[in-house]
Amino acid sequence: MGTWIAALRSERIKLGRSQIMLLAVIDPVLCAVIGLLANVGNGEGAWAGLLLAMMVLHAMLFLPIMTGIFSAYVCRYEHAGGGWKQILSLPVSRSALYSSKLLVVMGALALNQLLFLVAVLGVGALKGFDLALIPWADFGIKLLGGFIACLPLAALQLFVSTMWSSFAAPLVLNVIFTIPNILIANSATYGPYYPWAQPMLVMMQAGGQYDFGAFGLPIETLLITVGGSFVLFLAAGLTYFNRKPV
Amino acid sequence: MIGKLLVTDLLKMRRTGIWWVVLVGSVGLTAMQALNFGLRYDYLVNDAYASDPWGGLIESTGLFVPIAIYLAMTLLMSMIANIENRQNSWKQTLALPVRRSQVFASKFLSCLIQLLAACVLLTVSTLILGLVLKLPGPIPYMELATFGFYPMLASLPMLGVMLWLTLTVRNQAIPIALGIAASLTSVFGASMPELLPLSWPALALHGEQAMRFVGLGIGVFAVLYLLGSLHFSRKDVA
Repeated sequence: MGTWIAALRSERIKLGRSQIMLLAVIDPVLCAVIGLLANVGNGEGAWAGLLLAMMVLHAMLFLPIMTGIFSAYVCRYEHAGGGWKQILSLPVSRSALYSSKLLVVMGALALNQLLFLVAVLGVGALKGFDLALIPWADFGIKLLGGFIACLPLAALQLFVSTMWSSFAAPLVLNVIFTIPNILIANSATYGPYYPWAQPMLVMMQAGGQYDFGAFGLPIETLLITVGGSFVLFLAAGLTYFNRKPV
Repeated sequence: MIGKLLVTDLLKMRRTGIWWVVLVGSVGLTAMQALNFGLRYDYLVNDAYASDPWGGLIESTGLFVPIAIYLAMTLLMSMIANIENRQNSWKQTLALPVRRSQVFASKFLSCLIQLLAACVLLTVSTLILGLVLKLPGPIPYMELATFGFYPMLASLPMLGVMLWLTLTVRNQAIPIALGIAASLTSVFGASMPELLPLSWPALALHGEQAMRFVGLGIGVFAVLYLLGSLHFSRKDVA
């Protein structure tokens, strides 16, 4: 446990002076621009409408892709200049190292979701919506759900990021599977089983007023896909990393 | 000299997975449409696009062409730059008796060759898909040949920015994140004001003014290329 916390701290230190904050800001800023341009009436359900308008791009494309970028980012130091050799020669188990990297990715994702919430609240305040009407419970469930739905992708991306030394290669994989979201989210047959579409489906679904294509599914189905794929990808990644020749 | 540089650059790109990106990107777009048309053939061919099935195929593929091209430019340039970054070989490459502007030009040309190859692959694979689906009506060869090519030329400003950033910034995360963010917003390109270069590929795809946006794209690219080349020629090598 002690070494695990130390590994986590060293991961945090490695990210300390990097531009990961800059990366986490891009998505909320762009979504805020879309929110400002969106035509949302100021009345009943104004906040939910604003969230929906800003969420489409965020949940459909940005969230899965930022997951890939964060995962590739935490492996960057190790791939550059033989870092794997140095860090694996330390008395820390590979599983502890891997899980601390995964936890850092999760932290970055949580930060991204929080900044997105800030962007939504900021845009709403700028548009003069009534701050007393913010549906905190609805926002909270949607953001938390979106965060959880990203975890399988984080596990998968960390797996390929440790495998391939190029920064761009894991992202290519991620992007290729994320773009079809635009089509797949409309399909009730395939949507529920496509890991890359889960953040969108969960974020749209939680609260359940959007009933179209794969969006009208019970939340349990989505959580089974998310949980199952997370276990699968994490097990594959850990097995690979524990046997990886350095 | 530029020819030799280009040959060495293409040689360095073997076994790096770059050509896989070219292949998977263009054929992947077609595969997506193959699924789309295969799963709902009756609805798409006999109903939604009944008047012009070939046009429908080109249009629904074309929807994804701008984002695919932007992403390809970002990822390809980053992988090209990564070859030199990873082996720390900028010093060695630039110590050779070649001009830096020529090194820059050769990186650009190799990326352009890959993009052109991707456009050709897209045309051929879409044609094959249409033939396999037995779409009725005359084959629109002209549109097939241009629906990847025009948006590619109209999105050249992005390549200018990426050339500049990836070859001068060592931390590839920054250009990649910026490039991906720009690509994702380009999905909404058709509804953006014409002033924004992000909307050009989508506009070059549809409107009658395709050539105007192709021209604009090439013009803006030329400026960005010159600026990038100047900066690259003068900067210190670490």
